[in-house]
Amino acid sequence: MSVKYVPVQWNRNKWIYDAVMLAGVALFLWIFVELAPGLLSHERPINAPIHNGRAFGACAFVMLTVILCIGPLARLDQRFLPLLYNRRHFGVMTVFVAITHASFIIDWYFNFSPTNKYVAVLSANTDFGQALGFPFEIFGVFALIVLMILSATSHDFWMKFLTPPVWKRLHYLIYPAYAAVVAHVALGVLLDAQNVTFLWIVLIGSLAVATLHLLAAFSETRGSDTRAEGTDWVRICDAHDITEGFAKIARLPGGDRVAVFRQDGLLSAISNACAHQNGPLGEGKVIDCLVTCPWHGFQYDVRNGRSPAPFTEKIPTYDIRLHGSSVMVNPVANPPGTPVDPVPVPQEVLA
Amino acid sequence: MSDPKKPFFVGYLPAPPDLRLFLIVSIVSFVVIFGATGLLIGSTQDDPGPGAGQGRQTVTGVVEMIGYPVIHVTQGTDRIPTGRTLILSSGGKNGAVGRAAPLEGQVVQVSGLLLERGELDMVQLRGGNNGLQAADGNGAVPRPKPLGRWKLAGEICDGKCYAGIMRPGRGLAHRACANLCVAGEIPPVFVSSQPVEGSDFLMLTGPDGGVMPQEGYDAMAEYISVEGEITRHGDLLVFAMDPTTIEVLP
Amino acid sequence: MSGAETILLLVRWWLIIGAMISVAFLFIGIDRIDEDARGAYIFRPLLVPAILLIWPLVLWRWYVLEAGREIWSKHYRPPRASHLVAAILMAAGIGTALFLGLSNRQTWPADIAPERLSAPGEANE
Repeated sequence: MSVKYVPVQWNRNKWIYDAVMLAGVALFLWIFVELAPGLLSHERPINAPIHNGRAFGACAFVMLTVILCIGPLARLDQRFLPLLYNRRHFGVMTVFVAITHASFIIDWYFNFSPTNKYVAVLSANTDFGQALGFPFEIFGVFALIVLMILSATSHDFWMKFLTPPVWKRLHYLIYPAYAAVVAHVALGVLLDAQNVTFLWIVLIGSLAVATLHLLAAFSETRGSDTRAEGTDWVRICDAHDITEGFAKIARLPGGDRVAVFRQDGLLSAISNACAHQNGPLGEGKVIDCLVTCPWHGFQYDVRNGRSPAPFTEKIPTYDIRLHGSSVMVNPVANPPGTPVDPVPVPQEVLA
Repeated sequence: MSDPKKPFFVGYLPAPPDLRLFLIVSIVSFVVIFGATGLLIGSTQDDPGPGAGQGRQTVTGVVEMIGYPVIHVTQGTDRIPTGRTLILSSGGKNGAVGRAAPLEGQVVQVSGLLLERGELDMVQLRGGNNGLQAADGNGAVPRPKPLGRWKLAGEICDGKCYAGIMRPGRGLAHRACANLCVAGEIPPVFVSSQPVEGSDFLMLTGPDGGVMPQEGYDAMAEYISVEGEITRHGDLLVFAMDPTTIEVLP
Repeated sequence: MSGAETILLLVRWWLIIGAMISVAFLFIGIDRIDEDARGAYIFRPLLVPAILLIWPLVLWRWYVLEAGREIWSKHYRPPRASHLVAAILMAAGIGTALFLGLSNRQTWPADIAPERLSAPGEANE
């Protein structure tokens, strides 16, 4: 919701979010690095760089797993939306933890050799022919590069500059990256370690991520959004169907989604996609006469698709009319920020 | 459409009262999940083995090149008895082939960090002449004793990490490191599933008694069975592996 | 030069080009294509890592915006349908990785005893 860009638009909830996130990560690392060595009954300790490398690697895996559960959970149950709110900071923190893991490993296993340590990462094991002994490091390298790209492009500037759909497609890289992380772990530590505790955690975590994403994606295809058919004005729903302060979403013939809101007994149609991150505006509600996005709280005047001053975001609007009690929308969107006269809800509906 | 009855969270506004219990439970679960996974994973790490550094030792002995350099100790210390055979390496992931080869068959003084794991003794030489230099004295390389052709099960490791310079210094997560060590001419060792003639490990060479062949890198850290000739050099067993017989075990 | 060294050389050049483009973009380009960035300087260093990594995309978007070729309707078409494809592919990748990892786990062959195939001299003399 930028007027002028700042590094982070802090607010109380973001502070709480980051504090909880950091508390969890710090607790994990403190227990693993400081407490766990005392609990291990080994004759001689694991080298500190290896133990720390494992701590940060396992932490990054748990962080990424939790992050990837938040999105589908929020789609399946709106109460999880607060966990989505400042997820980008969680992601950025994960990159730092993952880089620390990589640094410990590279500065230990790949160091002290006549070969440059980065060359060594790519050349020490080139036995790509089978799963056992596969150079699993390469999956970690790929995932780390993806995580760096995603965290580096997490500032709102990038969403506006790249446009939300391009930004979102870029961030779809998280899916192959997570699969690569699982491969990195499965062909690395899971083949190496005799103890199976981490194996079970990886199994449960990664299968939870896969299952939640499949559930959320399938529920989206079976979603309740009506499909409006036709080439000219299309019928969205009956005026009865729209609750005051809320919207009805429909998929237009071209594939775009429209959100028809009812506010003060008047109906208006706007794009369902928020200008910020294409969040589903139709799943939001009217607060203080402004449509509020459920993802990050961006707000728009439903009559013209503009954010209130001093904000400058704009979304497309749609021409709307009633045919009896049927709500009809012209599927050709108006340019973002075009005012459209709202239509009053029929008296019999209000009654 | 969102459910009008459900609480609606807006990031920059205080959380709705109906959502607070849910959020508190989420926060507590989050912290508990992180603490519990940290504890579970951290406290179930595999034992890295007993290999360790035993401080600086200086001994005199005779150099023998068996693909890689070893010395047969002629004048030991409290820690290293006379008659012991030590495998040699330099600092980092560097072997001592180039340093020791010109002194083959000669009496030398060897000084460096002793690494010890079971019957495996390796010395990481100090830099330059301080680590390895010709010395006065008499001594000869003991006559090697062939022990025949064997089939062993176990794992190829680099002798230095396995001996304790890294803990753990074996396993697939350590495979690339081991490859770098052996490529740097650090002597590889074969860790046998059960003792061979009283020893759990054997220094590994190629079939011709030279350095480990490429197939050894590809099998590094995997559990394999492999055939080869075993020879006793002093009190060290040397396994001249036949790479064509490597089989990966289940 | 080995394959690994070549890759690292390309990475170095990728980052060097990215550094040059980030200077041009953050000192000149950004003010021309985003009014919200005018007068906002503190956040700009935050953009450098991304420009280093994805500079071809930056150049393409810069060109589109400068040339006035922007199509506004494309801003409001989230790739929601692709999520199903992405989720299926990710699940398949996770499943494959776990299968390969778990099915290749080895157990230390503690029960296999060393076997003497032939006495010294038998085989090679």
